[in-house]
Amino acid sequence: MTALGGRRMGNAPVRPPLRRRLVDALPRGASLFFGYGVLFILYLPIVWLMILSISGEPLTGIPGDWTLTWYEDVIYADIAQRAGEAYGSNFRVGEPLILSIMLAFATAAACVIGVLIVGPVLPRVKRRGPLLLGFLMPLMVPGIVAGVGLFMWYRLVVQVKMGVWSLALAHFVWAFPFALLAMLVVASRFDDRLMEAAADLGATRWQRFWQIEVPILKPGIFAAGFFGFLLSFNELPFSIFMRSGQDTLPLYLWIQSGAHNTTVPLIYAMSTLVTIASVGLTFLAIKLAFGGGRHGK
Amino acid sequence: MANDEPAATGQILLVEHATHRFGDVVALDDVSIAARRGEFLTLLGESGSGKTTLLRIVAGLERPTRIARIAIDGEDVSAIPASRRNCTTVFQHYALFPHMSVGQNVEYGLRVRGVGKDERRRRAEDALGLVRLLDKYGRRVHQLSGGERQRVALARALVTEPAILLLDEPLGALDEKLRVDMQVELLDLHEKLGLTFIYVTHSQEEALTMSDRIILMRRGRIVQEGPPTDLFDRPATRFTADFMGVENLLEGAIESVADGTATVRIGAHRVSGAWSGRGRAEKGARACVAVRAERIRLAPAGAAADAPGVNRLPCRTGTTIYKGKYLDQTLETDIGPIKARIWDRGVDLAGSTALWWRESECAVTAAADPVDPPAESPAG
Repeated sequence: MTALGGRRMGNAPVRPPLRRRLVDALPRGASLFFGYGVLFILYLPIVWLMILSISGEPLTGIPGDWTLTWYEDVIYADIAQRAGEAYGSNFRVGEPLILSIMLAFATAAACVIGVLIVGPVLPRVKRRGPLLLGFLMPLMVPGIVAGVGLFMWYRLVVQVKMGVWSLALAHFVWAFPFALLAMLVVASRFDDRLMEAAADLGATRWQRFWQIEVPILKPGIFAAGFFGFLLSFNELPFSIFMRSGQDTLPLYLWIQSGAHNTTVPLIYAMSTLVTIASVGLTFLAIKLAFGGGRHGK
Repeated sequence: MANDEPAATGQILLVEHATHRFGDVVALDDVSIAARRGEFLTLLGESGSGKTTLLRIVAGLERPTRIARIAIDGEDVSAIPASRRNCTTVFQHYALFPHMSVGQNVEYGLRVRGVGKDERRRRAEDALGLVRLLDKYGRRVHQLSGGERQRVALARALVTEPAILLLDEPLGALDEKLRVDMQVELLDLHEKLGLTFIYVTHSQEEALTMSDRIILMRRGRIVQEGPPTDLFDRPATRFTADFMGVENLLEGAIESVADGTATVRIGAHRVSGAWSGRGRAEKGARACVAVRAERIRLAPAGAAADAPGVNRLPCRTGTTIYKGKYLDQTLETDIGPIKARIWDRGVDLAGSTALWWRESECAVTAAADPVDPPAESPAG
């Protein structure tokens, strides 16, 4: 019996002392606390901004008195002023919005074409280290610095007038490294032997590109276009230097937020709309890129 | 006597003086091969022997550094890219397109040739039927097992009805049981279609089972070529004998030659066998007696000493390895250990004092191979 009892004791789960348990649990608790803290810092201002955008007195900073009037104003202020009527605010978001959307589409298209040209080749280049670094270095150059550089070069050295073209160029310079990075994640996993197999079966270079390479690299191509669109749509530092007369949406919001108190509630509303649109677009892009092409459907 | 000039009419592939270098490495060193229409030709060799490079040159996937002529079905294809050569490849790694269904994979060769949808489907189903995968037409590639994938790759290569089917270690990634089944299946297909197969493998067993003719390669050159029985029973050099799995290679000097039989002096013993080296056996030249383990027999103590046409050596029994169906028995002789395969459980191992084998059941080959690397000088 004693032997049996001893064995039973040995099999029982041993509970370590409290101090030991605390020491074990502490790192986990600390990292959880830190992680949630970061999320809190990230999202609180945005959530606060969204809440104020539907509050009656946003300038007081106190939520409540729920209303959608600021959203109405965002839309009607522009329409009314366009029609020549006076409106409570001179906030006009229409033109910057259209310009930003057009720039975003142009940047997305340029990024897609760019990564289609560079992406499939880059992982196959023999000594690609320096080349890769060259393509991705702009990621590490601060936007303001690159913006000033571009401005100085075109305005003072080349001596051309800024315009929509310079905004588009700057957005491409800014977005392309990100787009390329997204493409390289997919392209570096591409199996070149598939291209050999296709050639062996009689596919021409063109057929191999469209029927084998592009479909398999589709997630990377989508991601590149999506990054191009979003990064252009939200871009500010380059736009500050490379604009001429016309404002992009972030530029307009930035200028307005420093100008009149009366437009601040409209900025809240507009920012909320932009945020929702961006997040929606992101989900859509992810679904398009990875949902449809997923194997096993 | 081997016919060096294959009949021009029946010849479907001709490669003359192909050399290929990867940087400083010579992968293929002035190799010429030819294949008859409908032949099952195997390129056999260890990795780095140049067999796959040769196959890729035929496919057009590799452009040789130097080549005199390469012709498929009488047409010179030196300047023609892989996509327009009338041959297709079955790759070891399958190389199926992951974004296409099984049917789309098989149809691909027809799709790029602009064949209509209905005809494509019909021919793809025919090809899938050949490899017994008709019911897998709509499947995704990743839903298939390894063996099924290899059969899809086979159907995809066959669907365009090429003049030559190239197979690059097609069974290398399959497990043992499946490999044996696929060997039979490939042989059946070869017979049914009458197509020329050029088959690359490192497995002598695969080569022996399937080929009409084997080309054994080493260091980018051809060591020996001929029907399987030639390579198996009459290896020309020590390398061939070793590669074809001969367990006992006894090296010595040729003492006398008579009537195709060479007698080799090894230590204090004389061993005779049929000369299978190239040219004539030279008296005094280094030679190698190649005896398979299953040919070695044991003689009980006190058995008759000398019989004509028999090689006999005194021995002691060494280690025994139990293999289930048979025993792998090492026998110690004064010219080194000799491996014997013993099927008869009744044999008296301990009481055996000599081993013997028939002269007709061993081959005497050249000890050195022309492809052997030159001996390195210590100063170099």
